[in-house]
Amino acid sequence: MAGSQPQPYESALDAIPGSHPYPRSSRYHDAEIGIHIQPDGTPVRYVKRRLLPPLGEVAEDTATHTVSSGERPDHLGQRYFGDPAAWWRIADANPVLDPRELTAEPGEEIEIPNGFPGGGGGGGGGRHG
Amino acid sequence: MADEPVGQGPIHLELRMGPKLTRPVPPEVTDALLSAQITTTAGERSGFQMAFDLTKRGAIIDRLLPEGFFDPRTRVIVTAAVKGTPIVLLDGLIVRHEVGASNQPGQTTLTVTGEDLTLLMDLEERADRYPNLSPWQRVTRILAKYTDYGIDAHVVKEKILQPPNAQRRVDYQTGTDLQYVTDLAQANGYVFYLIPGPVAGVSTAYWGPEKRVGTAQHALTVNMDVNSTVDQLTFAYDGTAREEPQARWQDPTTRTSTLLAQPDISPLRPPLGKRATPALKRKTLSGTAKKDRAQAEAEALARAATTADAISGSGSLDVNRHGYILQPRQLVGVRGAGVTYDGEYYVKSVTHHLRPGSFLQNFTLTREGLIARSDTVRP
Repeated sequence: MAGSQPQPYESALDAIPGSHPYPRSSRYHDAEIGIHIQPDGTPVRYVKRRLLPPLGEVAEDTATHTVSSGERPDHLGQRYFGDPAAWWRIADANPVLDPRELTAEPGEEIEIPNGFPGGGGGGGGGRHG
Repeated sequence: MADEPVGQGPIHLELRMGPKLTRPVPPEVTDALLSAQITTTAGERSGFQMAFDLTKRGAIIDRLLPEGFFDPRTRVIVTAAVKGTPIVLLDGLIVRHEVGASNQPGQTTLTVTGEDLTLLMDLEERADRYPNLSPWQRVTRILAKYTDYGIDAHVVKEKILQPPNAQRRVDYQTGTDLQYVTDLAQANGYVFYLIPGPVAGVSTAYWGPEKRVGTAQHALTVNMDVNSTVDQLTFAYDGTAREEPQARWQDPTTRTSTLLAQPDISPLRPPLGKRATPALKRKTLSGTAKKDRAQAEAEALARAATTADAISGSGSLDVNRHGYILQPRQLVGVRGAGVTYDGEYYVKSVTHHLRPGSFLQNFTLTREGLIARSDTVRP
């Protein structure tokens, strides 16, 4: 834990069910947790930057949704995933910075991912988001 | 879920198959899926059975079956997503398939049966010696051979350390890797099983104590009118289940044999109930006198801990009504069954019954004491 280099966060509690700071449904569940050492030596846990999957990979098996007026991203989350809080999966699969851009233009076509991240073949590049 | 159009319900299923690396199955296979049953148990291997509809001139009977798509040793991965969160239910291999041809149209079925990836460790009998290696080091060395199927090892050191000494004793393995690893787990009161996930193609082989700590899953609610999430729930208290092991150990230098003290089982079985059940039976363990003292103590502790679960519950639930997939090998809260049987339980096994339009689960729970420890559970 010494030195100014942030250490990768590893805890003996990781194997205990329910000890993760984010639930399974959260987009930060798989994000890496780092430790920042403050000048006085106290460690502070923080979530590292979350890289989005590259758009080319996601676009393999997606459904297309045509936006109608009055829709919001959480409507789409409820409609396609059964949970309004899952709107971030749709936002991840589309080249938008602000989730409100998804449904800003009625008639626009957006990608709906199938919700199953591909096994194996991980790694590769990432997008900032 | 049954009245929701496809692709819009809260529960989705993905089936991946392939020889070693898997791919999502063609749509003909998903359309033909009649039912799937997946059983997951703590300390035992998991199994699955799937039934497919074999239509005449269909893609399965004409193309996939002769091409060997359903041959034994084909890898199968089943992932279920509830409210967008994918959970890998199974990572296994096909062991056998049966074709039941029928004169009735639509009754011809293909039934595929298989087991989880620990089957790989059970295929070949080997004789091997492990000088100067503790049990957990032996398990780590064995599990390292199976990484090409994406199996990651998670091994916990044994509770009573058994420092090895090749001058006095060298441990031998006869039989398959799975038998040896399971025997080592039982001798220490541990369990060995495979946890599929978190994404398809990856799994963790866990060798350690049952995880009876941490945050419990969302509570199973019974007998609470519209808030009930469980269809039925029965509890049983078996008085003769718990044993008091009597282990003798002989000192090789002085030749005096001593009766080992009763071990404290709370490291392996943190109490989940307020009132512990008494041990009615006394069981004499054979063969402990000639072992090392640490080994004899570990065996007595394992016996006392694994028999301690006198209280068992079983029931069934509908995932769509419960809202969550009940995961085996973790804690879960129970409410509505009265103060004696409420509280937290360890989920010993779960059987998933999947059919188009329904997802049911049968589960068994265990605990070592009566009376809930706190008056609330996680809702």
